[in-house]
Amino acid sequence: MTLSRRTILKGVAGGALTVLAPMPGLSLYANAAQADAHKILIIVHLRGGADGLNLVSPASDANFIAARTSELRVAMDGSDPGFALANGPDPHIDFRLHSSAGGLAELYKNGTLGIIHAAGLTDGTRSHFVATDMIDRGVADVPNLSHSREGWMARYLSGDAAARQPIAAVSASSAVGGEFANWPNALAVPDLGGGFAPAGGSQALDVLSRFYTNAADPMGEAGRSALAAMATINAGVRRDPKGAAIPYQPEGGANYDSAGEFGRSLKTLAQLIKMEIGLDVATVDIGGWDTHEYQPGRFKGAVTQLSNGLAAFWNDTARYHDRIVIVTVSEFGRRLRSNRSQGTDHGRAGVMMVMGAGVRGGRFFGRWPGLDNAQLDEGVDLAVATDYRQVFTEVLKHRSTAPTKDVFPGFTPTASLGIFSA
Amino acid sequence: MPVSDPAPNPIDPFYVLTRLGYGPRPGDLAQFANQGFPRWFDEQLHAPPVDEPEVAQALSVARLRIKYGAGDPAKNQPWPAVDEMRPLTMLNQPIEALWPMLAERDKHASQERRRPLIEVMAATLIRATHARYQLREVICNFWHDHFNVDAWHSEQVAVALPAYDRNVIRPNALGNFHQMLEAVATSTAMLYYLSNHSSRAGAANENYGRELFELHTLGRDAYLNDKYDRWREVPGATDGHPAGYIDEDVYESARAFTGWTVEDGAAIDGGRKLPNTGKFAYVENWHDGYQKRVLATDFNEFQPPMADGKKVLDLVASHPATARYICRKLARRLVSQTPSPQLVAAAADVWSKNIHAPDQIAKVVRVIALSPEFAQARGEKVRRPLALVAGFARATGLDLMPTEPLINTIADAGQRLYGVPEPTGLHDDLRHFSGTNEMRQRWLLALGLAQNYWGTGVLNPEAMTPALVRNYGEVAAYWLIALTGSSDPNQIVAITAGMNIMPEQPLDPRDPNLGKRLALIAAYAAMSPAFQSC
Repeated sequence: MTLSRRTILKGVAGGALTVLAPMPGLSLYANAAQADAHKILIIVHLRGGADGLNLVSPASDANFIAARTSELRVAMDGSDPGFALANGPDPHIDFRLHSSAGGLAELYKNGTLGIIHAAGLTDGTRSHFVATDMIDRGVADVPNLSHSREGWMARYLSGDAAARQPIAAVSASSAVGGEFANWPNALAVPDLGGGFAPAGGSQALDVLSRFYTNAADPMGEAGRSALAAMATINAGVRRDPKGAAIPYQPEGGANYDSAGEFGRSLKTLAQLIKMEIGLDVATVDIGGWDTHEYQPGRFKGAVTQLSNGLAAFWNDTARYHDRIVIVTVSEFGRRLRSNRSQGTDHGRAGVMMVMGAGVRGGRFFGRWPGLDNAQLDEGVDLAVATDYRQVFTEVLKHRSTAPTKDVFPGFTPTASLGIFSA
Repeated sequence: MPVSDPAPNPIDPFYVLTRLGYGPRPGDLAQFANQGFPRWFDEQLHAPPVDEPEVAQALSVARLRIKYGAGDPAKNQPWPAVDEMRPLTMLNQPIEALWPMLAERDKHASQERRRPLIEVMAATLIRATHARYQLREVICNFWHDHFNVDAWHSEQVAVALPAYDRNVIRPNALGNFHQMLEAVATSTAMLYYLSNHSSRAGAANENYGRELFELHTLGRDAYLNDKYDRWREVPGATDGHPAGYIDEDVYESARAFTGWTVEDGAAIDGGRKLPNTGKFAYVENWHDGYQKRVLATDFNEFQPPMADGKKVLDLVASHPATARYICRKLARRLVSQTPSPQLVAAAADVWSKNIHAPDQIAKVVRVIALSPEFAQARGEKVRRPLALVAGFARATGLDLMPTEPLINTIADAGQRLYGVPEPTGLHDDLRHFSGTNEMRQRWLLALGLAQNYWGTGVLNPEAMTPALVRNYGEVAAYWLIALTGSSDPNQIVAITAGMNIMPEQPLDPRDPNLGKRLALIAAYAAMSPAFQSC
């Protein structure tokens, strides 16, 4: 049985109006048979265009060394060397993870995390906003961009019964992610803090329920969705005998503090996962990658948060490791040659990472196109060797079913990169 | 200027005052009805350049708390602990008066360097609430979003923000676009935010050049990057009128703006340093003087100081794609998410015909606001959090005193004033304000203002409620009408039943909880669906 949020709320509101009840049907998720039906997919957006060449450097490549100041390359020796990565895509090049990515290096070494270098958007845009829109909508050309109004995840979820559960699609940020555009059930939950009820107690909740139960305009619908979601989430918050929310205690010694806002978002997702209320797909943002100037310090800060955040989340969710897959993606990579502001401008291919259940980690996937002038895109940027949609296609196929053609318009999958074990 | 016929039917005053302003105060509707829409509108367009007396008064009495602990002498931090209610002292300071705080960072707590931002945010709330010329505030807000800078993540931008608001955005908001664009390009806030200040000949920083085309002027629809390095293939290019821009235009523009920087004490060469004042500077040594080509126009090598950058600004400000892009954006802000192509074309036509007019933008806003399409767009737009707060204060007569907790709650509701990291600025569509958490924070804003959670002032609902209002149902109706323009029985019942009161129950002046209940009713009316859009 699938219930839209509206019918649920109407059902509740028609009876006792004082407090919204959590949605029925949630007990389904308490039983283990249902629980492992789907992997929980988490998409991490590195907003601003992350410099893949500085995150995972082809550190020994002569062209790379010639094009960039040493501060914008991962070092192989000296006081601050990066982490050497086995099984790179080119045996003649020493690929290195940034020295602040210790957590990621460990996840790579222990076989949890795999790297897809030179991945991205096959369209040549160097605009943040066009690139972000294309990736949100699962396209890679202007005509398809203008034809698709909904996010690719909305198209994918429309064929997925579990996703119709009310808390299935969540963005752990202030607004719903672009890939969920036009998916009516997607929620934005930035922080659970001490619970997730509206302010003003039961009286305010009662007034709001009466106001919004039958409101017709878009803000009316938004209010109704918000009330229903809050009721469901709030029912999952653990409380002390007096009814106060018990602060969330991460497991496994996980510490999100060193990952800033990104850490808070991941902590929120960990909480939602452990509530077992049906989380199916989630998005989370980490900013700070648009490093036109002063890149060495800024990039180090962003990498630290990324690495510490993902490591903390992985430790915290150990009980769920067989159910979680995480993908990182950025709208583009950055220019091979650095500018004179100690930064890099908008480029083309970047780096994607996939980690979690079923990932054949500890290796790279996809082709390395090289950094000779003739191998670069327009002679200036790392060329895109792997379409970002190839990665998502393999992820979706592994967690449930291969995406139908309409999910990624204009895209034909290539032979599998083998990111997942069969 | 002839007064055009706005619409066949009389327009709803409540709608106009909520869409082109931050909502009516008691008495505004009657005055609007007396004047009629076109006269009211033209008066709004002719605001004197200074703050209205009401605004000046509210700014002068405002006190904003500043609090921090004493510095650590062991770390050479000499400052004492501070906890005081301080007036707004920075809004009218020239940048060179505030900039030294950055160089003297060891001498002051970081809260002092953030203070210019806090004061501008407070002034924005005060102006939105008190300004007689409401349209000016709405349009200033539009341009702050359009020419977005992020002062929450950069101390330089925070310190430069008063000058940016005062000298760049406000005086030009209803003026001439080219003039505003040049003011933005030479502003300290933008030079830092889009990192042009550090751009140098040899390998220029493309950040400003790219957003200049994509966000400030021609718009992304004019980005024809399938022609990446084949500029002759851009339609119209060989006649000198390219329809759009390509990456090469971005690269060349970045070169054109090298040397446009800020007096921030940087070394020019072995023997010379820039002064450290925060003012604009042009440094010839840092400029890439060789020939360029931007938008199919050749630039000769070694032009006079700043001529390259100014020529780029000329080209983009007068480009027809800029007219379309900005007129569409204005129509989206003022009318609906999907303005008709006809309206956009009509506005773009006025834009282009007045390209040198000192009131170019006012003329464009006028043609949009007086269009029949505007008259029929009630309810199409979400009230953004700032509008929610100002609208509540104006309708309820709350003498709003901005505080940091209020500003932070507005940010939690999705509007971080002068603090959007992405250069697109704050979004204008409903999706960004209607998420679960945003709704929760919107409701909290109403409750918190009505009950003074954040020290923003005590609502006096008893004084506001007219004498002929005698029972709770009438109170609910009164606040619904004041806040949303109308009320219906279901909304009234939602409030009274939720509060467990009969609508007919008379107000009892001896009831010690009367004031609290009346304030709650105002809050609940502002939590209704009708108050969320305009």
